[in-house]
Amino acid sequence: MSIEFVLDGRTVTAEPGQTILEVAKANGIYIPSLCREERISKTTSCFVCVVRDKKSGRFLPSCAAMPSPGQEVEVSSPEVLEMRRTALNLLLSEHSGDCEAPCTLACPAHANVEEYVRAGRKGEFLESLKIIKERIPLPMTIGRVCPRFCEKQCRRNVYGKPVAINEFKRLAADLYYDEYMEELPAETGKKVAIVGGGPAGLSTAYYLRRNGVAATIFEMMPRAGGMTRYGIPEYRLPKAILDRELAHYEKLGVKFVFGRKLGENLSIEELLKEFDAVVVAVGCWRASGMRCEGEELATPGIDFLRKVAENGNKLANPGKVIVVGGGNTAMDCVRTSVRLGSPEVHCFYRRTEAEMPAEKLEINEAREEGVIFDFLVAPVKVEKRGDKLVMTCRKMELGEPDASGRRKPVEVPGSDFEVEADTIIGAIGQGTIVPAGLPTNRFRNIEVQPGTMKISDRLYAAGDCVSGAATVVESVAGGRQAALEIVNALTGQELPVEHTVYVSRGKWQDLKKSDLVFLRDDVSEADREQLDFIPLEERKTTFREVTSTMSREKVMKEGQRCIECSCTDKHDCKLRKHAECNGCDPEAIKGARLPVSYDIRHPLIIQDRGKCIKCSTCVKICKEVVNKTLLSPKKRGFYTCVGTAFDKGFPASCSECGECIEACPVGALDWRIKK
Amino acid sequence: MSDAKIKKIRVGVASCGIAAGAEAVMDLLKKEAGAIPVEGTGCLGHCYAEPMVEVLLDNGESVIYRDVKADEKAVRNILSVGPENRFEIPPVRKAKELVKVLALAGRIDPTSFEDYVANGGYKGLEKALAMTSAEVIDEVKLSGLRGRGGGGFPTGNKWGFLAAKQADEKILICNADEGDPGAFMDRALMESAPHQVLEGMLIAAYATGATKLFIYCRAEYPMAIKHLKIAIAQIYEHKLNVVAGRELEIIIKEGAGAFVCGEETALIASLEGQRGTPRFRPPFPTDKGWMGYPSMINNVETFGNIPLILREGGAEFAKVGTEGSKGTKIFALAGDLKYPGLVEVPMGITLREIVFDIGGADPEKVKAVQTGGPSGGCIPVELFDTPVDYDSLKKLGAIMGSGGMIVIGKDRCMVETARYFLDFTHRESCGKCTFCRVGTTRMYETLERNVAGKGEMSDIELLENLGPKIRMGSLCGLGQTAPNPVLATLRYYRHEYEAHVRDHQCEALQCNALVDLKLDQSKCVKCKLCIKNCPVGAISDDFVIDNTKCTRCNTCLDMCPKKAIRRVKKGSN
Repeated sequence: MSIEFVLDGRTVTAEPGQTILEVAKANGIYIPSLCREERISKTTSCFVCVVRDKKSGRFLPSCAAMPSPGQEVEVSSPEVLEMRRTALNLLLSEHSGDCEAPCTLACPAHANVEEYVRAGRKGEFLESLKIIKERIPLPMTIGRVCPRFCEKQCRRNVYGKPVAINEFKRLAADLYYDEYMEELPAETGKKVAIVGGGPAGLSTAYYLRRNGVAATIFEMMPRAGGMTRYGIPEYRLPKAILDRELAHYEKLGVKFVFGRKLGENLSIEELLKEFDAVVVAVGCWRASGMRCEGEELATPGIDFLRKVAENGNKLANPGKVIVVGGGNTAMDCVRTSVRLGSPEVHCFYRRTEAEMPAEKLEINEAREEGVIFDFLVAPVKVEKRGDKLVMTCRKMELGEPDASGRRKPVEVPGSDFEVEADTIIGAIGQGTIVPAGLPTNRFRNIEVQPGTMKISDRLYAAGDCVSGAATVVESVAGGRQAALEIVNALTGQELPVEHTVYVSRGKWQDLKKSDLVFLRDDVSEADREQLDFIPLEERKTTFREVTSTMSREKVMKEGQRCIECSCTDKHDCKLRKHAECNGCDPEAIKGARLPVSYDIRHPLIIQDRGKCIKCSTCVKICKEVVNKTLLSPKKRGFYTCVGTAFDKGFPASCSECGECIEACPVGALDWRIKK
Repeated sequence: MSDAKIKKIRVGVASCGIAAGAEAVMDLLKKEAGAIPVEGTGCLGHCYAEPMVEVLLDNGESVIYRDVKADEKAVRNILSVGPENRFEIPPVRKAKELVKVLALAGRIDPTSFEDYVANGGYKGLEKALAMTSAEVIDEVKLSGLRGRGGGGFPTGNKWGFLAAKQADEKILICNADEGDPGAFMDRALMESAPHQVLEGMLIAAYATGATKLFIYCRAEYPMAIKHLKIAIAQIYEHKLNVVAGRELEIIIKEGAGAFVCGEETALIASLEGQRGTPRFRPPFPTDKGWMGYPSMINNVETFGNIPLILREGGAEFAKVGTEGSKGTKIFALAGDLKYPGLVEVPMGITLREIVFDIGGADPEKVKAVQTGGPSGGCIPVELFDTPVDYDSLKKLGAIMGSGGMIVIGKDRCMVETARYFLDFTHRESCGKCTFCRVGTTRMYETLERNVAGKGEMSDIELLENLGPKIRMGSLCGLGQTAPNPVLATLRYYRHEYEAHVRDHQCEALQCNALVDLKLDQSKCVKCKLCIKNCPVGAISDDFVIDNTKCTRCNTCLDMCPKKAIRRVKKGSN
């Protein structure tokens, strides 16, 4: 006989034998559960499905508890949600795995690194490019100039060199960029104006167009590309490559209007009248001064690089050059100076090499090309004597670490000395020229609303002008975010929700090889493949691209080195899904994680015990549905696990039916194939 | 000494006696006693005095000897009923205890059917069989007996549930999986008077209609199992297993030593051959138990009470005890006291009487008592006037439990005490419920941090947050009670936790990581025993302890003839 009871204030009917969970489901009331699988007897293990009996205040696992007539059951009271969140946080606290590969998480654009590397490993570079372009709209450029955030977090660092991830982008784009044409949705009729044709503006335009919104880019310079054209030198990013990359934007229907600059012949108000939204992506074009007497005698680094670019890489020999600064712009300036024929190029930096913000690769290549580095030196004064410049410098020493964590340079009294040069270049930083009328933050960049790219209604900003001078990949990430926010605001289109829960095995610096889980048994132990450089003499005298694109064979070999760290179940892990729905945090409760223990003896199946939540669903499916009893729970307490008889692995009697895998709510049992 | 002759000699050869060397004593006595019969008997409950030997004289008197050594002198003393090493129950204990359930323990040969019958055995069964089964249940209800395993559920009601079931077969289970560390009430009863437990089971089977009787006993109790098996064979031999025309099957199942199998649904799973994990109730075992049959589980001591209830009547039984808790209770006393062992007392006796009068603990040195083993809570000495009954203990955040009682001295750290208990429970979790498996581990890790001087104030919050959730979010008694030692110590000794996490100090000077060793030069006689015995060379030739080297092993403290070395607060050197 059916009975009536109350679920969260709603009177519902339960048929005989129905649990509270079943009744809730039948009535469309959400109760998450990890361990309930309808084809097997109850496990009642995870306690994520807890509800509360209002009268007694007792918590009940709704997967097992049957309602009684008239009973009032709370499903979503604060107490229930807190209890449920704690259950999930406890499970997350012991979970040992990487929801997402560290390379993907490290990428500012969250490109699906593992996926495009896997496609590349199989030689499927068109597929690889498609995956890349989901997040990286400038793969030819970024494949050449990216500082490789991904590779710095690659778990191969635990034993040897990281996978040469960026070469996948470069090769895939070189092979298929011109050929690959995205499937574009019909235009929605909405149109957006973008001020600035650099990486952020281009990225905004790209993702707007891919979501059916028309984009017009207003650019002050005669060509598009922003700093990728006028800042990054030819030998790192040939203009011909950049032109190929930008030609695709015209194919996509992005409109470019050149020679228009905010405050001169363009105004935001005007654009807002004509367009549905406006994005400001004007970059960082103000060079910071050297903050010393006579600084005006020095050439600002970005101005120097722009002049070289504007003149087709032809500029008078600058003579003896001193570049002040230790960042990537400084490296571009010294290496460009070498190529312009300078007989002696110095880099002056006020700290030591260890503190230089420039990429190590760039520093090494500059040194190979003959650049002389002078560390712990700061400029005090620049003056003109005859046709030479004389810079007074002061020696420095390292003091206490500052806010950035780097040791602060401290002046050494009485250590001043003079050096003579023909050209002095100041490359110590860039800032935003914030367009009049826009809000400014404390870093003197454009202020956007927290967690968004929005300035105000219909007005957005992205790229360096928001973040301060950064990398191309960071700019395109910002551009994409702005585009998606606009699409959402203009069309109401539901956009993919980003994950909020990422369990991690930790930093590679804290791991040993035995802490890693290998899905494949053919992960290559070979050393990292090397890039081919053009001859050094050519590097010093021409602007030819320094390295050539890595061969297909080499890149595929690199793919074999990838461990594929992310979870096999990352797309449908119930633990992660419910944790995200309930606002959980893997760091909320701290403690030891499960020891790394996995089994890939079976050719098709991986058992990763570090991810097991001990619900025994697999055990019961095998026993009660498949009729085999190949799995059983073992041990007690925190170290409870599921295993095969005598830990000998799946026996020959396993029919590989996959029931246990399908039933596993997490990635503890899975196929050894990534989707 | 009178002229009386020795009629019989009994040697206490229960597990505790054997551990103290009773077997060698018995062998020697048998060799030297000539025609005098030398028998083994069970446990008298005075662990501190083992091995014990009782000499029965033909004038009806008896003399008990304590701390008997297996040597010629001791044997001569006994055989001559000499004056050495005679044992007297401390008079104050004698006045406070009330030995009923354990009356036969140590007084009969546990392997002798005749001995049991000669001492009133099976009179209860006989009486029961003369009543209707409903009358038997009423008698048990009238006695007010509540489950002695810890739950405290009224036994008569439980019997009534099973009796009311219509089924092809009904199951009776004796829970003899005594798992609390330091508790051995059930073991003593099974070893010393196995028939008493079995008689209780036979009466229950008659009253409820059960035909299959299990005894789930932990395999670590080989003597209990042996004695039960002998007793069962005797029951079959005397056809006592046929009640009201029904033939009963009595089966001993040895448990493999999982604490959780003391929980009824886990126990049933284990009996069925499954992994011992609990399940959600309802259905309760009386509805759906072993292999789906209606099943009832009672504890060893509960069954041990039944023959007395039938013999003397429920009303008489109920004269002892308090309003809500009737009869006597056996406790296993351990910890910082003079007379560790078993004691049977009337319900309602105060903790003060048990700990000080019976246990002989020094009132100056006692800080608290832990009842209910690792699932229970501590009760501070200030509350020792609390009567011992199910409800009063619960109010204090402790539980009656199965009868473990551990006296905690003032030199014990309560954070360390809680850590010690959690160490046990978090390992013994069956791993099924998230809150129990992970939650207790997180609590344990937190306590580990705290005693190691690496705690933070937020740790106390974490313990207070997780504890109640583990209680509410676990299927069985293990998880539901595992946080008790922490929550109870937090309730009464919060300042100790705060001192550990905030000041990194242990006021009891027990936590090694928070203690330095200090040598008082004014007391030192320069004997160098400390220097010679230090395993890590932490004491210099001029008698200064290097606390960075010292491992706090306390060897020097023990060696020092002048007590010149002390444990002091870390950093106070």
